[in-house]
Amino acid sequence: MTLSTALKTGDLTALPSRRDEDWRWTDLRGLLRALPPAAPAHDGEVPAGPFADLASAETVFVNGRRVVETEVASGVIALRFVALADQASQGASHALVVKPGETLVLLESHEGRAGGYVTDVALDIAVGEGASVERIVLVEDDAEAVNVVTAEVDLAPGAQYAQTILTSGARRQRIETRVNHPGAHAEVRLDGAYLLDAQRHADLTTVVTHAGVEGVTSQLTKGMVTDQARGVFQGRIVVSPGADQTDARMGHHALILSDKAEIDAKPELLIFADDVSCAHGNTIGALDEDALFYAEQRGIPQAEAKAMLTVAFVGEVVDRIAHEGAREIAAAWVARKLGSAV
Amino acid sequence: MAAVKETVETVAALEKYEHGFTTEIDQEFAPKGLSEDIVRFISAKKDEPQWMLDWRLEAYRRWLELEEPDWAKVSYPKIDYQDTYYYAAPKTKEGPKSLDEVDPELLAVYEKLGIPLKEQAVLAGVEGAPRYAVDAVFDSVSVVTTFKKELAQAGVIFCSMSEAIREHPELVRRYLGSVVPTSDNYFACLNSAVFSDGSFVYVPPGVRCPMELSTYFRINAKDSGQFERTLIVADKGAYVSYLEGCTAPMRDENQLHAAVVELVLLDDAEIKYSTVQNWYPGDPETGKGGIYNFVTKRADCRGDRSKVSWTQVETGSAITWKYPSCVLRGEGSSGEFYSIAVTNGHQQADTGTKMIHLGANTKSRIVAKGISAGKSTSTYRGLVSAHPKAKGARNFTQCDSLLIGKDCAAHTVPYIEARNGQSVFEHEATTTRLSDDQLFYCQQRGLSQEEAVALLVNGFVKDVLQQLPMEFAVEAQKLVAISLEGSVG
Repeated sequence: MTLSTALKTGDLTALPSRRDEDWRWTDLRGLLRALPPAAPAHDGEVPAGPFADLASAETVFVNGRRVVETEVASGVIALRFVALADQASQGASHALVVKPGETLVLLESHEGRAGGYVTDVALDIAVGEGASVERIVLVEDDAEAVNVVTAEVDLAPGAQYAQTILTSGARRQRIETRVNHPGAHAEVRLDGAYLLDAQRHADLTTVVTHAGVEGVTSQLTKGMVTDQARGVFQGRIVVSPGADQTDARMGHHALILSDKAEIDAKPELLIFADDVSCAHGNTIGALDEDALFYAEQRGIPQAEAKAMLTVAFVGEVVDRIAHEGAREIAAAWVARKLGSAV
Repeated sequence: MAAVKETVETVAALEKYEHGFTTEIDQEFAPKGLSEDIVRFISAKKDEPQWMLDWRLEAYRRWLELEEPDWAKVSYPKIDYQDTYYYAAPKTKEGPKSLDEVDPELLAVYEKLGIPLKEQAVLAGVEGAPRYAVDAVFDSVSVVTTFKKELAQAGVIFCSMSEAIREHPELVRRYLGSVVPTSDNYFACLNSAVFSDGSFVYVPPGVRCPMELSTYFRINAKDSGQFERTLIVADKGAYVSYLEGCTAPMRDENQLHAAVVELVLLDDAEIKYSTVQNWYPGDPETGKGGIYNFVTKRADCRGDRSKVSWTQVETGSAITWKYPSCVLRGEGSSGEFYSIAVTNGHQQADTGTKMIHLGANTKSRIVAKGISAGKSTSTYRGLVSAHPKAKGARNFTQCDSLLIGKDCAAHTVPYIEARNGQSVFEHEATTTRLSDDQLFYCQQRGLSQEEAVALLVNGFVKDVLQQLPMEFAVEAQKLVAISLEGSVG
């Protein structure tokens, strides 16, 4: 039941639907009545990506085809998925192996530079022993696009993996991360922010499976929805039998700024070991009236006050980005999105 | 300190499952299996009017088309629905007119269980001692309901469901199935077809029920299922507190318990519903036997400012599948759910609640405490949803799980659906094990390991125990300690 199978076979019944528990809030079968034709190859220029100034090398996919590839998997590299064809479909997959002890900053962007496309991206990331990866994902899709991005992350003992997803949604969008966590002093940070307006939808799904002792996971997702947008957060932490001394925390906090917007959340803990410390917190609500009143009282117009408070709210996720340049780009992106949405 | 002493004494006098005895009582059964004829048989046995039979048959036909749900985190061999007795009743010549006519064997059972059925005995107690009226359901029928006269003086109707169908058909027709429709889910649908008895309560407008009401369910017959149906209606401004207890004998076969409880609340009404569920959990070593507890409980807060409170202590059953829910329709209505689920041995519990906010300014609060020990699994599954009209809705959820031992599991699966911009939802969950430091501290002060565990667990579940009526709280506290016996060391 995946979009990728449907794209390969043309079989619409392979699309996940509301009846699939993990897709209950991201119905693809109900939305896609037909699959658009495969996107053509693109031979013209490709505009620069959002992280162009930071990366030393890049791998670029255009319309589902790899057009530039770097063999390097260390330092700061960009990974770009660019859609340039209207009403077309494309599938892409990519694998990255980070060698033991290496450090990689992966600046990933999904650039919808066309309308109404359907995209499926599958990533495999293997992080070697003691290696460290920070993945920053900026997703800017067309309002009519359907986009599913799935990353499978395998960690070796002592590896460090940090991830921040920033998205403004699409017609239907799912960003899924599955982490196979060996315990063994490996550390995982999974963060995300979704800022949605109009009729956009975004689904941030994570599954972290702790297989061994002494693993750490920390998750923070923040969201803002307005107009008729819909935000979905599904977080699952699994602690397998024997994975003792696991320390896992998950937080999802979201703001609903209109009466027609919707947020659905399912923070799950599945625990099969007893010596663990796991917790999750989930809050959904409106902006603090008192804070708004305070700001207005001091002469800040309502719209500006709202934007200010929302930026501060989402800012916590941005602040956790370790790479300075990426953090600045992320902060600017959040400010720009909120300036227009709120 | 009294509670601590109580716990220590209880632990000292531990028994595995003290209600596991069986009683030889002359009983009559419907033939094994399920068919339209069995449904007709049950209906005829209870002397029911045609409309009731039609309602049952309709449910039965729908049940045939439904599929057994499999989404819960529980696993059990496929149930053979044709291998169960759907009706088992103690033989009596005619319905007993008073307690003196009830089979003394039967009374002995309730005495052994510590359930006061003799009003005099209760009345003779210490002045001011808590009194509560009991409806005792034995397998498929209600054997006796106490304090009916006194309740009638206050205008409260408290009787068995079969009596209500005969005596108060207008009320039953109006409300039965209005909260849990016949085809709501597989087990509720089965219950609608074959339910045999249960309690009916109607509290008229403005009346505060003068005493606690309670039902005591006992499964006794072998290979039988219990399908009771409870309907409580609190009219405008009424208040009632209702308690429910259940036990069953120890047997190697699994027995099915599929009940439906419907609560209806009109304007300003309040219902407090407390359950201490102690069905036989199966053999702790082998996991053999035990009750399958598949229950649908739902409260419909139709009236403005109505309030419902579910409190449950789940210590028994091999498998529990139960989600007492609140439909918060009335403006300003509120729902509460307090739960303790203790699993040990091979028990599996998938339980939680649904808070469906439909009206403006509705409030809900969920406090769920799960304790898993042995090889058991305990899952909290809950839904909190606010619809676009539920402006100002407010929810607070707290789920804590405690793990005792290497082979148990605890899961938390909350669903939160917010559909308007003026609601606030808060959810927090933690999973930990008993703290070594705390255990060490207690043991250092002379408590044995088991006493220390019981003490710490009681502290862990205190928030929920406090919500129970006094006499139930004491019983529940004992139960929690007993259920965890043998789980450490």
